[in-house]
Amino acid sequence: MKKCLAITAVGFQQMFADPMYLIFTLALPLLLTWAMSFLPREAGVYEMALLGVLVMFVALNLLTSAGSILEEKQQGTWQRLRSSATPYRAIMAGYLLRFSLVAAVQALLLLLSGKLLFGAPWNQGYGELAVVLAVYIFAMTGLGLFLAGLFKTQGQVQAAATGIVLVGSMLGDIFFPMENPSTAIKFITAISPQSWAAHALKDILLQGAALASLVKPLLWMGGLGLLLLTAGLLRLKTEM
Amino acid sequence: MILEVKQLEKSFGARRAVAGINLLLNEGEVLGLLGPNGAGKTTTLAMIGGLLQPEAGSITIGGWDLQRHPLQAKALLGIVPQEPALYPQLSAAANLRFWGTMQGLQRSELNKAVAEALAVVGLTERARERVVNYSGGMKRRLNIAAGILHRPKLLIMDEPTVGVDPQSRNHIHETVKRLQCAGTAIIYTSHYVEEVEELCGRVLIMDAGKVVAAGTVAELLRAAGHAQELVIKVNRPHQAVLSRLTAIPGVREAVMVGQAFKLLTLKAEQVLPLAYEYLLSQGLQVSAIEIHKPNLESLFLKLTGKSLRDQ
Repeated sequence: MKKCLAITAVGFQQMFADPMYLIFTLALPLLLTWAMSFLPREAGVYEMALLGVLVMFVALNLLTSAGSILEEKQQGTWQRLRSSATPYRAIMAGYLLRFSLVAAVQALLLLLSGKLLFGAPWNQGYGELAVVLAVYIFAMTGLGLFLAGLFKTQGQVQAAATGIVLVGSMLGDIFFPMENPSTAIKFITAISPQSWAAHALKDILLQGAALASLVKPLLWMGGLGLLLLTAGLLRLKTEM
Repeated sequence: MILEVKQLEKSFGARRAVAGINLLLNEGEVLGLLGPNGAGKTTTLAMIGGLLQPEAGSITIGGWDLQRHPLQAKALLGIVPQEPALYPQLSAAANLRFWGTMQGLQRSELNKAVAEALAVVGLTERARERVVNYSGGMKRRLNIAAGILHRPKLLIMDEPTVGVDPQSRNHIHETVKRLQCAGTAIIYTSHYVEEVEELCGRVLIMDAGKVVAAGTVAELLRAAGHAQELVIKVNRPHQAVLSRLTAIPGVREAVMVGQAFKLLTLKAEQVLPLAYEYLLSQGLQVSAIEIHKPNLESLFLKLTGKSLRDQ
C-alpha cells in the first residue's frame, strides 16, 4: 500500500509541475463549460453540451495520462520500477489510483462549476451520478492502458486518444443531436462510452433516473473497461 | 556466490539474442561485460534485472531464483541504467526517497540511506535542487545513487560514464572501487577499454549472443597473444581501401573507425610500410600512425572483428 501511494504521489508531483497539463486538464474544460452557458436553455441542449464537455475531457485526460507510462518507459523510470522489489500489482495500482483520482476531481470540478457558476440544474441523483462516473472512469482508464500497451510512444497514444475521443463525442449524439442518423453514426453512438455516459448522466441529473434503468450503459462501460484493462495490464507486464 | 546464471536463452522472433550464457559472480567482484551492438549484452542484463523473461535457463541472485522469488531476488539488486532513470521535476532527495521506498526501505532508515547515497556520489550540497536543473554528469551520479541507496548485493552498471566530464568520470570510478571494497558485486559494461582494465577483475566478452572469451584481464591479454594494433589515420577512409588492407600479408583483422584504419598484426614493422605505400598510392593523406601493445581492445577486435569504440 505504501509503495502504491508513493507511486501515486510521484505521479501527482510530476503532473502538477507541468503547467500545460493543468491548462489542458482544468482551465480548458472550464473555459468550454463557460462557453456552453451561452447556448439556448431549452430542450436539454445546454445541459447535454455541458455533460459532453465533461465526458470528453475526462476521456482525453485518462487516455493521455495512461500514455504517460510510455513516457516513463522512454525516460527509464518504468524499467527501474520493474527492476525494483515492488510487485507489478502495486505499481499498476499506484498508476490507476492516480489516473482515477485526477479524473474524479476533474469531473467534480466541472459539475460544480456548471452548477454554481453557470446555473446548470443539477439538483438530484448524486449517488447514481457517482456510480456512473466511477464506471465511466474505469472504462476510459481501461482504454488508456490498452492504448499504452498497444503503442510505443506517448505521441502515438495522444494521436489515437484524440481521434477516439473526438469521434466518440462529436458523432456520438452528444453535442449535435441527430435526426435520422446513418448506420455508421448509429454504430458509433452504440459503442462510444462517452455517448453512454453523457446520456446516462443527463437522465440522472435532469430526469432523476434510478440505477435500475441504467443497467445497460453500466454493463457496457464496465464490461468494455474490464476487457481493455485486462489486455493492457497483461501487455504492459510482458513488454520491457 | 551472489549471482549464478545458467544456460540463459532468449530470442526475438527468428533472432537468437542470447544463446546459452553462463555466469558466476562473487561478492566484491567487478565483472566487465563487453560486446559489440547486438551481442546480447542488453538482453542479458534485462533478464538479470527481471525486465525480460528468459526462454530457458535460470538466474539466481543471493540464493533466490529470480523466476520463483522475484521480489526477494530484486531486493538484492541495484541497477544503474545507461541513461539516468529519474523524475526530472523532483529534487534529488525526493527522487532517492521514492526509489528507496520502492526498494522496501522503511521510513526510519530511508533518510539515512538517502544522505549516505548522496554523500557517496558527492551531491549532498545539491540535494534539494530539481533534477531537471542538473548537469549531465550530476544526473549520472544521482542515477548511481538511486541504484545503490538500498545497499544491493549485486549492482548492474550499464555504461555509467558515457558522455560525462573527466571529473564525474573519476568520481564514478572511485564510487565503483568503494562499492567493491564494501562487498558489492558489480556487472560493468563500457566501451572504454581503459576503465574496464582499471576497474574489472574479470571480463566477459560477448558476441552474437554467446560468450566468446572470459577471464581476468591478464588472462585475456595473454590470450590476445603478441598481436599489435596498428592505427593509421587518413583523410578519406573508405571500404574499398579497407578490403585491400585486410589482404596485406600479416594482417589478422582490419576495421575502419572514424578517420582511421585499425589493423591487428603480429608484424607491425612489416605491415606498416606496405599499408603506408598502398594508402599513398590511392591518393590518401596519412595524418598519424600509432602502434599499440595488445590490450582488451585488440583482443575484442580479434574476437569479434569489430572495434569497441565503433559502437
